Amino acid sequence: MESLLVFNSLNILYEVFSLLLVALGLGIIFGLLRVMNMAHGEFISLGAFTAVSCQMAGLSYWVAFPATLVVCGSIGFLLERFLIRQLYNRPFDTLVATWGLSILLRKLLELGFGKGYQSLELPLSGSVSIWGTGYPAYRLLLMGFIVILVGGLTLWYNRSSAAMRVKAMIGNPELAESVGLNTQRLACLTFICGVCCAGLAGTLLAPLYSVYPAMGLDYLLRSFFILVIGGVGNLWGLFTGAAIIGGLQSGLAVLVNQTAGYFAVLIVAIIFLWRNPDGIFHRA
Amino acid sequence: MVFFIARNLGLLAVLWTLPVLIGDYNTYQLGLYLLYAVAAVGVAVCWGQVGFLPLGQSVFFGLGAYISGWSLRAFGESWQVWPLLSLAVIVPALSAWLIGWLVFQGKKESGPYFSLITLALSMLAFQLATSWNSITGGFNGLSGIPEFGGLDSFGSLYYLIAFCLVLALAGSSWLLQAPLGTLWRAISQNEPRLVFLGYSTGTLKALAFGYSGALAGLGGMFYAPHQGLVTPDLCGFILAAELVVWTAVGGRKSLLGPVSGVVLVGLLTSELRDVFAYWEVLVALLFIGVVLYLPNGLSGIFKPLSGLKKTKISPEIAIPARSSVSANGGLSLLFDNVSSQIGTVHILNKLSFHIKTAGIYCMIGPNGAGKTSSFNVLSGELPLSDGTIQINGQPLKLAQHRLSALGISRKFQFPSIFPELTLREHLSIPLWSNQAKAHQYLDHRLHRWRSQVLSSLLIQFPFLSNQHNLASALSHGERQILELVMTLIAEPKLLLLDEPCAGLSPQETKHVIETIREITQENNLTVIIIEHDMQLVRELAEHLFVLHQGNLLAEGNVLEIQNNEQVKAVYAGGSKT
Repeated sequence: MESLLVFNSLNILYEVFSLLLVALGLGIIFGLLRVMNMAHGEFISLGAFTAVSCQMAGLSYWVAFPATLVVCGSIGFLLERFLIRQLYNRPFDTLVATWGLSILLRKLLELGFGKGYQSLELPLSGSVSIWGTGYPAYRLLLMGFIVILVGGLTLWYNRSSAAMRVKAMIGNPELAESVGLNTQRLACLTFICGVCCAGLAGTLLAPLYSVYPAMGLDYLLRSFFILVIGGVGNLWGLFTGAAIIGGLQSGLAVLVNQTAGYFAVLIVAIIFLWRNPDGIFHRA
Repeated sequence: MVFFIARNLGLLAVLWTLPVLIGDYNTYQLGLYLLYAVAAVGVAVCWGQVGFLPLGQSVFFGLGAYISGWSLRAFGESWQVWPLLSLAVIVPALSAWLIGWLVFQGKKESGPYFSLITLALSMLAFQLATSWNSITGGFNGLSGIPEFGGLDSFGSLYYLIAFCLVLALAGSSWLLQAPLGTLWRAISQNEPRLVFLGYSTGTLKALAFGYSGALAGLGGMFYAPHQGLVTPDLCGFILAAELVVWTAVGGRKSLLGPVSGVVLVGLLTSELRDVFAYWEVLVALLFIGVVLYLPNGLSGIFKPLSGLKKTKISPEIAIPARSSVSANGGLSLLFDNVSSQIGTVHILNKLSFHIKTAGIYCMIGPNGAGKTSSFNVLSGELPLSDGTIQINGQPLKLAQHRLSALGISRKFQFPSIFPELTLREHLSIPLWSNQAKAHQYLDHRLHRWRSQVLSSLLIQFPFLSNQHNLASALSHGERQILELVMTLIAEPKLLLLDEPCAGLSPQETKHVIETIREITQENNLTVIIIEHDMQLVRELAEHLFVLHQGNLLAEGNVLEIQNNEQVKAVYAGGSKT
């Protein structure tokens, strides 16, 4: 009994952490730059398919990380330069254009890999015993990595002078520019950072979930739900959103079934979008 | 009218002769895409006209298809099928209306959240359709749906579908030319302005969404017998996304745009998808390109002015002045210890004043004194943290769009108009407000209404007589005057004017002042003017309020204020002591 409790709570914790990871990239792009990025899910797919490509090429799974950074970094740069830059302060067009972008990326992935499911070998098999309960080692590693990634980003965002410049740009772009900040470059770097975070999420989660070209939509909606529930622009919001959605989903999955969990998440998200789209932790 | 009928009959004739030219199989395919086109017209009405984007229109298409498929399977060709089939349109329409009503109520924007809600709804609908085996047939869907009224889906059904599409197009264009259509376009241009003219924009948007739901349901209703199969995919996001892509590429601003988009992109895709691997990538690129560079889609290239037909103005219909206005003239307004606070910032600080009789009142004070803010609290833009505002002794607690029915009209500091509407439409919207009954918004004769006030204003400001001109072509001064005229046409009892003469030439200023004075005297109107120009204040004001730091510093006539030591101190840069 006790071992089941430990196992289930670890599972819920894992669910929440992986959701946090999934939403992180959108938290940066939508939360900071206010770009309603409907292609977020496809950025996650990009990371996952990079991992698939590495496996196909016979490379180690770990090579996928630098590879993802390179792929997502360059794609992020090109997109910001030639698409997103024209769309700042045009929220509605952004939504539609990135929606088109998501279709484009999805079709390109279909073209390259086919519509079917890809499978990825677990890079770290075996399990670790925690209080007498065996838990998959890769999941534990994943959670550790997420803590480091999110913790590092938070520390960076709160302490570094680069982050201060980003905040200045968000607060008042004209003023930031007039005191000599290169806001174009800052926005570009922020966007790239968001795309890379999404890509890394894809690479990390790829061995655990099914990888197929249309996988992105589900991640996109979940990420938006998390941001909508938690509120954009701060980590606590992101964490609360992930906790509510993850808890609801995995809790109901244990108590009833998977579909019930999915329903509950959709319904809670729709209620939030409708009544309180600024979320619980709203940045004033 | 003749043109309207001829055009639609012409379109029907073209669609009906096509089968002879393209053969049975292509007719069958075309029929399918014409069904999607019916739904796409609904997307274009919402997106191109009213300005909100539904990203989950497949929900209503699927709902219609499931209801129709289920009824046809259950009752086949017996008479019971007909009332059930009508549900395939009514249920989607009502559910869309309800969703729209819930989401839009009390909000003054149609931002991206509505789109996300509809997208999430399409996911939910897909899940429901997949898991609710007993009703929807689960993952495999409803199959073996019989033909519709004995119409062969490879033959005669096409003619009915084409007829329905033309009906949908004719109905939509009739709606868009009705006063309701004018209000819909006004929403996409400047929703807050429309709210202050007394319209509940949430209700109007819900109507538009309900209408689009009906069209999607109509498409779905024929889809079931046409394909003989209804699967959960029909509710899912792929169809929803395609409807948006087709509408954007074809052109969301016109009604034939989405039809051509569906037929061109959709049909070509179904033909080329398997032959040419890069086709769908090209379509996605085309879509992004259209969003960035061609907001009116492909049809926008061919006829840039399609929406601007210069219809002849028929004889006008004189309507009487509003009875309520002349009767008791002016209204009393009481600010009692009104405070407004956002966060730690005090915007208004126990502001009190009382206006009992009709006349022209001016509100002056240094920048940041709370002049515009006091208007904002009155009209609900800013929160009322403490104190009460009373109109005719009744505490004010109303939805914003109801202020206009009380006789309160407001002109904003920066001219707030509808850039892409004609002057005639600008003048009509306030004329209808609180005058026309709900059903009359479908009555095209409303466009010919003219009131006494409107006639005299048209004489005062001749530039308004170019009724087909767009407001975007006006100069800044003319926009100021246009907005002022709009507030006057509503025949208010209390008029709030925020620097009405800013940016006007001396000539125009003189004209505006005369008009305000005349109308005030004729109609026993209460006017509160925020003004910096002391020359103007001296000329107009019967009574002055001086605001300072969110509080009333002094009140009285011009002479009294000019001799007030406190006022002098504040204006000379000091503070009151």
